[in-house]
Amino acid sequence: MEREAIIEIDKLARRFGDLVAVREVSLRVYRGEIFGVLGPNGAGKSTLIRMLCGILDPSGGSARVVGHDVASEPEQVKQRIGYMTQRFSLYEDLSVEENLAFYGGIYDLPGDRRRARIEAVLDQGGLREHRKQIAGTLSGGWKQRVALACATIHEPPLLFLDEPTAGVDPVSRRQFWDQIHQVASRGTTVLVTTHYMDEAERCHRLAFIFRGELLTSGTPEEVVAARGLSVIEIEAEDPSAAASALRAHPNVDSVEHYGHRMRIATRGHADPQRLCREILAAAGVSVTHLAPDRASVEDAFVSMVREDEARRSQHPREAA
Amino acid sequence: MRRFLAVALKELLQLRRDRLTMGMMVGLPVMQLLLFGYAINTDVRHIPSVVFDQDRSAESRDLVRRMQATHFYAFVGAVRNYDEIARALRSGRARVAVVIPPRMGEKLRAGVHVEVQLVVDGSDPQTVASATNTAATLVATRSLEILTGRLTTSGQAPASEPLGLEPTTWYNPELKTAIYVVPGLVGVILTMTMTMLTSMAIARERERGTLEQLIVSPVRGIELVLGKIVPYIVIGYVQMSLVLLFGHLAFGVPIGGSLGLLYLLASPFIAANLALGLFFSTLAQTQQQAMQMSFFFMLPNILLSGFMFPFEGMPLPAQWLSQALPLTHFLRIVRGITLKGAGFADVAPELAILVGLLAILVLMASLRFHKKLG
Repeated sequence: MEREAIIEIDKLARRFGDLVAVREVSLRVYRGEIFGVLGPNGAGKSTLIRMLCGILDPSGGSARVVGHDVASEPEQVKQRIGYMTQRFSLYEDLSVEENLAFYGGIYDLPGDRRRARIEAVLDQGGLREHRKQIAGTLSGGWKQRVALACATIHEPPLLFLDEPTAGVDPVSRRQFWDQIHQVASRGTTVLVTTHYMDEAERCHRLAFIFRGELLTSGTPEEVVAARGLSVIEIEAEDPSAAASALRAHPNVDSVEHYGHRMRIATRGHADPQRLCREILAAAGVSVTHLAPDRASVEDAFVSMVREDEARRSQHPREAA
Repeated sequence: MRRFLAVALKELLQLRRDRLTMGMMVGLPVMQLLLFGYAINTDVRHIPSVVFDQDRSAESRDLVRRMQATHFYAFVGAVRNYDEIARALRSGRARVAVVIPPRMGEKLRAGVHVEVQLVVDGSDPQTVASATNTAATLVATRSLEILTGRLTTSGQAPASEPLGLEPTTWYNPELKTAIYVVPGLVGVILTMTMTMLTSMAIARERERGTLEQLIVSPVRGIELVLGKIVPYIVIGYVQMSLVLLFGHLAFGVPIGGSLGLLYLLASPFIAANLALGLFFSTLAQTQQQAMQMSFFFMLPNILLSGFMFPFEGMPLPAQWLSQALPLTHFLRIVRGITLKGAGFADVAPELAILVGLLAILVLMASLRFHKKLG
């Protein structure tokens, strides 16, 4: 079945003077999916989103969002998208209901529809009891819910969330992701940027952005599988000696400490468990625990970023 | 001691990074020095004056020449009747009128007592006393000269002084300061509210990140700007009404002219200040900076506009600067209408300058504002 693309990005680029913030990114986001854009801070995620929202002109390439070109028809795009940032952009001195009514007005909803939509988003966000509360007095998690309600007041077919969970506690983050899935289940496409890798696994599909470049995209499983990592969990007597011995081996991609244990990611070796045992035996470190573990999106991402950085340090001219 | 130094050093580093505050710290003392040192000068000079010469003799021309020579009066023209005096005073073209009676020269030669009339605009009480005293001294001197001349030629002293001065104060004859200050307060309050509130209202959106949310929404620039400004215009009119009402009830400030005209002419003034507030908001990243800029702007307004100190006492550069302030022109309009019953024709020249300033400010604000939103 041919899926309908709601965002079509073709070689989109943006330069700020000499700095290339986004470098020829091409992507498709399909209707109804939750699409994650991952990357460290300063990777170009926000620049990409701003271009897709029609508030920043691309320096090259093109993008069609909800059927309109972002460069030539930004106003049509703005009318049909929702947008929420980590700053929540609420009027802290207005009540929850007043904030909703304001954004309803900004999106030109007529009186009846506006009232109906306010009730609907209050229900969806579980905000009914807080409707009269001043937004500034809400806790972070609740503010986030109100911000999401404001961003969806006009029932946009496409919702942009720019690091919506930055600085929010883990419980609220989980609740928020439940809400994102609810929004998507009502037919809204969600494009969300994050640098929390556990959140990446909650997306239908995702894209890695690093230094303005698209490194890879696909479902979380595809992205992890494509990287070809095998992860082993080890507990050893002398962790620092074990780590330096493992890191010296070319097939070992990374060694990370987790309390008493270590996670070792390897690439390009048929039997990674035997490889680890051999390396540690040669180094004279005794192993008390060794078991395979699942490779995560974070593992894949860190591995790709490291490779990219290593390549750049070997070929500095290419980086410049 | 080391901990104290660490805090002090950090404070200095932060100040150095905040270029606006640094600018203010250097700029403010210099500006205050210049303003207070030069502008505040109650020694009035070159008061614009007209002469109503019904004599047109060598004697009358001599008197005018003597007045001009004091540098206290600057004659800006001649008028032909009392109506024209009223018009000159209402429009602010002149503050003083000298009325020389018919056949003054003849009468003086015949030994008949002559009274020269001095009409002074009392709406600014600070200039009245010196305007009257200077003229009185001049007239007394001239009188004494005539007397001496007559004594030497005929040897007999006349029964009365040959020449006298009859001072008359029009508008605010009791010289009440409140009557002078209260209408001006309308302009000062409007300047303060309009620039400070608008610049802060937009800086607040930027500071809290809501401006970005608005830019992403379909709201148009013009809808945003008008929506932000109109409530403050309403507030401005409410403030103006309150000041005028309480000024009238508590201090007996007269409303000589048309209130409708005053409210109408307040709109370009309010708009000019709003445009300036918008302009400030494009420069300020935070509410604090917007506040600092508005404060920086208020100082010359209060000191140079003629609100507190007579315009005629300022050195020329300060006068030029004050011409660029919308408040200067609005003060003349509001005082003209309330205290002197000025009509549209009287205040039209000030209105023209005000509208010109408005156009410049709107241009400045919209150029900057578009850049920021784009």
